[in-house]
Amino acid sequence: MGSAHSVPAEMRELADRTGFTSEQIEHLHRRFKQLSQDQLTIRKENFDSIPDLEFNPIRGKIVHAFFDKRNLRQESDGLADEINFEDFLTIMSYFRPIEMNMDEEQLDRFRKEKLKFLFHMYDSDHDGKITLQEYRNVVEELLSGNPHLEKESARSIADGAMMEAASICVGQMGPDQVYEGITFEDFLKMWQGIDIETKMHVRFLNVDTIAHCY
Amino acid sequence: MEESREGHGLTEDKILSIWMILFVALVLLPSIFRVSLGISHFYMKIVIKMLEWATLQIEEGVKKQKAMALENLISTGIIQRDKTPMEKEVVGQCRGCFSLADVMYFSKKGCEAVAEDEVTRRFSSEELLSWNLLSRTNANLHHVSWKLAAVWVIGILIRYCLLLPFRILLLMLATTIVGQFPNGRVKGWLSNQVQMICATLGIRCLSGLVHFHNRENKPQEGGICVANHTSPLDVLILASDGCYSLVGQVHGGLMGLIQKFCMQTSQHVLFERSEMKDRHLVRKKIREHIADKAKLPILIFPEGTCINNTSVMMFKKGSFEVGGTIHPVAIKYDPRFGDAFWNSTKHSMMTYAFNVLTSWAIVCNVWYLPPMVKEVLTLLYVLKVLEEEDAVHFADRVKAVIAARAGMSVLPWDGGLKRKKVKESFKEEQQKKYCQIVIENGSVGNGNVC
Repeated sequence: MGSAHSVPAEMRELADRTGFTSEQIEHLHRRFKQLSQDQLTIRKENFDSIPDLEFNPIRGKIVHAFFDKRNLRQESDGLADEINFEDFLTIMSYFRPIEMNMDEEQLDRFRKEKLKFLFHMYDSDHDGKITLQEYRNVVEELLSGNPHLEKESARSIADGAMMEAASICVGQMGPDQVYEGITFEDFLKMWQGIDIETKMHVRFLNVDTIAHCY
Repeated sequence: MEESREGHGLTEDKILSIWMILFVALVLLPSIFRVSLGISHFYMKIVIKMLEWATLQIEEGVKKQKAMALENLISTGIIQRDKTPMEKEVVGQCRGCFSLADVMYFSKKGCEAVAEDEVTRRFSSEELLSWNLLSRTNANLHHVSWKLAAVWVIGILIRYCLLLPFRILLLMLATTIVGQFPNGRVKGWLSNQVQMICATLGIRCLSGLVHFHNRENKPQEGGICVANHTSPLDVLILASDGCYSLVGQVHGGLMGLIQKFCMQTSQHVLFERSEMKDRHLVRKKIREHIADKAKLPILIFPEGTCINNTSVMMFKKGSFEVGGTIHPVAIKYDPRFGDAFWNSTKHSMMTYAFNVLTSWAIVCNVWYLPPMVKEVLTLLYVLKVLEEEDAVHFADRVKAVIAARAGMSVLPWDGGLKRKKVKESFKEEQQKKYCQIVIENGSVGNGNVC
């Protein structure tokens, strides 16, 4: 039979970095193998095999987020062609719930990371700003399924939202001023009232170590 | 020297004849008269005792709560899905306006779907709570105790060196002897009997133990028999208790050979899944078949593909549109003795046959359920119009009955998702729903942001 149940060094390092327990990592590893069909990396096409994901209107942006190098904590920019298990875990860790033992500084960092993830989802051309066109794109994707809705309506919603954002971030603008786009700092300001930590998380179940052959 | 050779020859003959006599007495004759000698039952009891002992070994030293937590994890999966409906989550402070936070809801749902989904889980073998000493059901081998390891090794020796050759030998003997029967040309009752005997024999050879319940509801001529599908063994099991005409997908390889063999004895309908016109042809043939009351009942598996026996997936409405009486049958395998699920994308027929031949046993329960017909919703005498239940609704009804009887969950998803992708029209449903929340009665243009 296999060796005794000792946690390998890489697993511990992964657990520390991403915050998952080793059981959760094992389960996610099995899921990863299922999605990648036993390969070492996942490509965009592998996400096509998830029926539940097909229902999601912003499916494209979510899959994109998995391959976005900015989310993978690499210094470079652009899109990766394929991701390995470590990258997969890194993206999943953005959706971890808050823990009881987090202090103020950790909570703040946590919140910033989640907001950065969302920011990258809006900012599709990677220039660090959410422009009006990008905002319109997101709204259209969310609402595009409705045949009764004309493009104009989606546009007007986005425009109105953008103006509101401008007024929060910049205050009163002169008649000639043009609002470039929402930067990350402005983005943070907009979310101040909203409780993102409790809304943007997936409840991963926790099981203690068991010496089970399951 | 010659004497010793003759002596050897004699002993070999003796061994062979003893084998033949044993085979005829213990396997063939009971199969013909469908009598059980109790040997399989005894064997099953031994296997159960051994598995219980193995489980105790494993649980020694592990607290009960942890075992229950593991049970929860395996049955529900790795995440606890957030069940709050879209309306509650998205609306927040105000209705009829778009909020930046709405993206959060959808990204969360997306991550949940990536972490786990109900459908793809059904297309891989069921995970067991406690190990049944077959290494194929254990993803990670952990060392637990020397005693257990020793039992596992003995188990391997028994299964591969004793059971496997024994079963192959039985199968070879069975096919040669049955081949001597007058078949093909002798029709009617005798041919049916031969079919059932072959099936029973096949099951006995695999150490299969089948419990039939409610035999009084067995399908009659001119009806359609409908069952949940887990493996090709389903056919063998049902055929051992009655004669059916089969409807199925054309296969190649070993499965194709078996199909060709079956086609000789009675009329079966075979088709190619991807051919559109084949489907219409099949429907026409089924209609003709049940119209003829003298013909055997048709056996159909409406799921269309093998599912792993933990849930029942969508029943395709084709067989329910034809009309006639539907006789539902529920089949549930006991996973402790061996995994009967055929993962056709992963294993070929040969690998699957090998796995079945080296399992402990195939144990299953078959329930014959009372016949069902489409309900009559309204009856307008004046116009002589009969409004019947919708085929899809009827299919769902039958599916629920089968799942309830076998203790499996019901999934609305299509088994075809094993091979195909989701239809476009389903994707747009969520978007439409979200639209309605944000737009509100089509009055647009205010574009408020919360």
